[in-house]
Amino acid sequence: MSKRFLWAALVGALAVTAIAGSSTAMTGKTDGSNAAQVLKMSIGSEPPSLDPGLATDTTSSNIILNIMDPLVKLGKPPALNAVPAAAASWKIRGAVVTLNLRKSVRWTNGQPVTAKDYVYGWLRTISPELGADYAYQFEGIKGAKEYTACDPKKADCNALRARVGVKAVGKYTLRVTLVSPQPWFIQQISHHSFLPQHKATIDRYGSKWTEPQNIVTNGPFKLASWKHDASITLVKNTKWRNAKSVKLIRVEHQIIVDATTAENAFSAKNIDVQTTGVASVNIPKWKKTRYWKTFKALGTYYYGFNTKNIPDANQRRAMAISIDRSQIVKYITKSGQIPAKGFTPIGIAGGPSILSQSTMPATAQLSKAKAALAKARNPKRSIRLYHNNAPNHVKIATAVQNFWKQLGLDVTIRPMEWKQYLQFLGPPPNADVDVYRLGWIYDFPDAYNGLVLWKCDSGNNNTNWCNRKFDSLIDKATRTPNTAKRIALYKQAENILTGPQGQLPIMPIYYYAFNMLQRENVKGFVENPTGQWDLAKVSIR
Amino acid sequence: MLKFIIRRVAWTIPVILLVIFMTFLMMRQIKGNPFQVTERAVNEATQRTLDRKFHLDQPWYIQYAYYVKGVFTANLGPSLVQRDRDVNDVIKDHFPVSLKLGGLAMLWAVLVGIPLGIIAALKQNTKLDYAVMAVVNAGYALPNFLIATVLIYLFAVKWREHTPFPTNGWGGWETWVLPAAALGHAPMTFFARIVRGSMLETLQQDYIRTAKAKGLRWRRVVGLHVLRNSLIPAVTAAAPLLGFLITGSFIVEFVFGIPGIGRYFVNSVTARDYSVTMGITILLSMIIIFANLLVDILYGYLDPRTRDVRT
Amino acid sequence: MVVDRRADFEASLTRTAELRGDQAGGALQRASLLRDAVHRFLKNRAAVAGAIAFLIMVVFVTITPWLSPHDPYAIDFGKAYLRPSWDHPFGTDDFGRDLFIRTALGGRVSILIGFAATVAIMLVGILYGSLSGFAGGALDNGMMRFLDALYGLPYLPFAILTLAIFGTVNFWTMVVALTVASWFTTARVMRGQIITLKENDYVRAANALGARWYRILFRHLLPNTLGVILIFVFLELPGVILGEAFLSFIGLGISAPKASWGTLAQEGYSSYLAYPYIIIIPSLCIGWLILSAFFVADGLRDALDPRSQEA
Repeated sequence: MSKRFLWAALVGALAVTAIAGSSTAMTGKTDGSNAAQVLKMSIGSEPPSLDPGLATDTTSSNIILNIMDPLVKLGKPPALNAVPAAAASWKIRGAVVTLNLRKSVRWTNGQPVTAKDYVYGWLRTISPELGADYAYQFEGIKGAKEYTACDPKKADCNALRARVGVKAVGKYTLRVTLVSPQPWFIQQISHHSFLPQHKATIDRYGSKWTEPQNIVTNGPFKLASWKHDASITLVKNTKWRNAKSVKLIRVEHQIIVDATTAENAFSAKNIDVQTTGVASVNIPKWKKTRYWKTFKALGTYYYGFNTKNIPDANQRRAMAISIDRSQIVKYITKSGQIPAKGFTPIGIAGGPSILSQSTMPATAQLSKAKAALAKARNPKRSIRLYHNNAPNHVKIATAVQNFWKQLGLDVTIRPMEWKQYLQFLGPPPNADVDVYRLGWIYDFPDAYNGLVLWKCDSGNNNTNWCNRKFDSLIDKATRTPNTAKRIALYKQAENILTGPQGQLPIMPIYYYAFNMLQRENVKGFVENPTGQWDLAKVSIR
Repeated sequence: MLKFIIRRVAWTIPVILLVIFMTFLMMRQIKGNPFQVTERAVNEATQRTLDRKFHLDQPWYIQYAYYVKGVFTANLGPSLVQRDRDVNDVIKDHFPVSLKLGGLAMLWAVLVGIPLGIIAALKQNTKLDYAVMAVVNAGYALPNFLIATVLIYLFAVKWREHTPFPTNGWGGWETWVLPAAALGHAPMTFFARIVRGSMLETLQQDYIRTAKAKGLRWRRVVGLHVLRNSLIPAVTAAAPLLGFLITGSFIVEFVFGIPGIGRYFVNSVTARDYSVTMGITILLSMIIIFANLLVDILYGYLDPRTRDVRT
Repeated sequence: MVVDRRADFEASLTRTAELRGDQAGGALQRASLLRDAVHRFLKNRAAVAGAIAFLIMVVFVTITPWLSPHDPYAIDFGKAYLRPSWDHPFGTDDFGRDLFIRTALGGRVSILIGFAATVAIMLVGILYGSLSGFAGGALDNGMMRFLDALYGLPYLPFAILTLAIFGTVNFWTMVVALTVASWFTTARVMRGQIITLKENDYVRAANALGARWYRILFRHLLPNTLGVILIFVFLELPGVILGEAFLSFIGLGISAPKASWGTLAQEGYSSYLAYPYIIIIPSLCIGWLILSAFFVADGLRDALDPRSQEA
């Protein structure tokens, strides 16, 4: 008998305990024929939270929006106009929005959903106690910013809470007072952070209220099970106001993080829809099949300049027009991305008009670029390019390094780990940064949501660039309900960024696209430009 | 004896404190904001609120005290990133998966490796022996991500019409086979080598030769004496496997998409989910520490001389 | 995965130390001992084959980049994913870069990281172990207690934490990460070696003659542990190279455009359905190196310790 034998005995005992433990996680193979209205799909990550107040990512958002009933939904692109959903109608008078709720919307426990549920939910989300990232979505509402910033030790938060411009003026009437007219507000409330929340449930279960046995929702589907990091199952809510139109009786989400694993699962017919993503190398193969689906996204992949290190706009222009965007989307990203003409995505309402004078070329303009660089005073010839370390970013940086070599610039690529990278970029960015990579996905379909990034005091302006004229145009847009006039303002702002005389604090590279694999018997599964899908409209044939 | 046990148990407390301290020290060196997930900047008010909520605005020794208290009260606090979950939930959900995977891998290693070793030894210097040892030696050196990938490719993709194994996931028995084989492969080759070596050694011993000369039936000799004596080294060799099963499962969990603790650990470091990272590191360390403790106590019980040495 | 074999070598190594202690009085005896060991090593066919295989790999990774006509970093999308051919024996990757030369360059990185980390582990371990063993008494006791505590640290999680602290993965950060939680066994073995040797007559004699402590340590004790150090290099190397591959595989590899076998295998993993050879080639290289190091270590052990019997 030795010490090591005892070790082994211990290991064995642990093993036996583990094996004896039961497991009910759901996976396994199916025969692929899916006669019943059951959808099996993969999602690319565990949703960090199913609490409408705390969720910040698209994975969570897509689960939440299918188990809940948002006030409005977005219509067809590119306009993406608000379409009545839980709100039957609305009235807009200046900065005051009045929403009339449908009386037929019920919680899964049978209680009616009232204006009070919205007031409670919104105030909870922006409360200093919760500390929700998406509190910023509410900043356009009067008093919201002040309440979020309240320090309970120093100020009377209840007083500030009472002053927030969200009121239930009747059982089914919700009145919102904004700080300025903000014409996009009605589209913005399609976002999951503007959903109602069930107070009794949250009070009772605390942070555990989103577990399947506790959660109370009001949408077309119900959360039936949630095996963390493994699967999420939704079942049809037969008592939903419009349940007749819902075809699917069950949706099984498998959480598959790795693209290759998810592709295997799709090939093996374990899933019908694969939203995890496809490994870059396999894109050409999948593109040839009928399973490949691409959807345009509202989002821009861009490089930013540290304008303290590269102060001359001529040099920035030279760098921005010397890269070949069409080669990048064709050979590197490969999955339906579009070379960016300017910062605002072309697919947004008014996009073509806003971008009409933007100057980012699809193919490289090397001679023009060389001429621009010749005009630059003291151009910086050794460039440090920072990006966060992920395969596609590495590849794009490597390609850009090659393009800039032809301008005579010597580029050092510095990959960093994501969170350190974000901290490194500030704002203001670390002095070592000359060029950096980031992307922006729109929260609501109005050009404002992207352009506002480049205001002087923006937390996302990592360029050290500040232009008062630009700021005043953006501020003016918040007070301009007329769509045509607002688009004209956006066009002026976009021209300051990427127009013929543009300052180019950033160089947009491409517009994002979403893609997924779908088996041919899945009908009606579309992803809208903000990355949402509506399972209530999906069926299996 | 009781005194020895008390001393030995007391000794684990400073060890645990040291592990917490080292983990804490390293965590604090990692830059990055747990509350900024995407490029969207976190506004200042939210940041302040969250820092306050998770005690990140406190000096380091207060935070350390919170963690120590958490460990000793078995309440590791809430996750900073998955805001509806506690670290305890994370461990409760994912650790059993890793434990089970490790146990099955061990089972695989024993059930396949030991017979292979016995066969090779009994047929020493035959083609069968060479074939088995060639496979074992080659397999020993291959990284398990290759083994895992090849297993998926063959059994779950190429021959999927003929096998019940899925490419990924964790549920019924059919989801266990490939990951357990991939993870258990290295220990399996290890067992095969060890058993073959010790069998050959035992077969050379005088008493075996005597038994054989006395005319005892060969099968009985092997069954009774040789096997029993040559399995001891295999059993002792199982000791370092615990560490292997904990660390080695990272890759297998990754390739098979298994919701185990290893994959979760990597994610928590990337996300700066301090409390989860701390929780998992401490958990893994405690397993090793308590296993050591148990072994020492039992060992001290069996062999009193070691008590003073190993306090 | 290489199951920790170092511990299994401990008994044998202690015997070796005793043996050398007995004979290590003068330079003449030491030389004859060395000659015997070399002779025994050369007679061991598996060990010689291992050594040759090891050298072939080292020569391959050293020479290929000088001979190859291709630029390992030049991008040509038109040549992406070419199948293996005379011009590109291992094919090309997604950038159209030649994988033959990239495998060789990756091997350079992997082997250099392997050796650097091994040296770092040895240095830390030897320093700690010999200091503890040489000092003896309360200091030794305290240092060993601390080491016992460190044994509770799981290796991979601490390597991951270390890389997260640096934020960027390059040659040196990888070496540090691989060293951080892997030097404990080396330290313990070195202490054992020093203690065994210290008890020998010639050291006592030197002591009695009033030799300074550092002279005893560097003239008598450390030179006599060189054989053990050599064995340990070959025992440590596979684990370190595999550790690097593991970290690379979960996305914590050395930053592009540089590559190691681990990062090449990771790139290959994303395309193994279409181009399986991209993951297989670097994995086989890893296996080749590990297996040859394994046989070399075995051969060295047998050569230095004639009493060891293991097959």
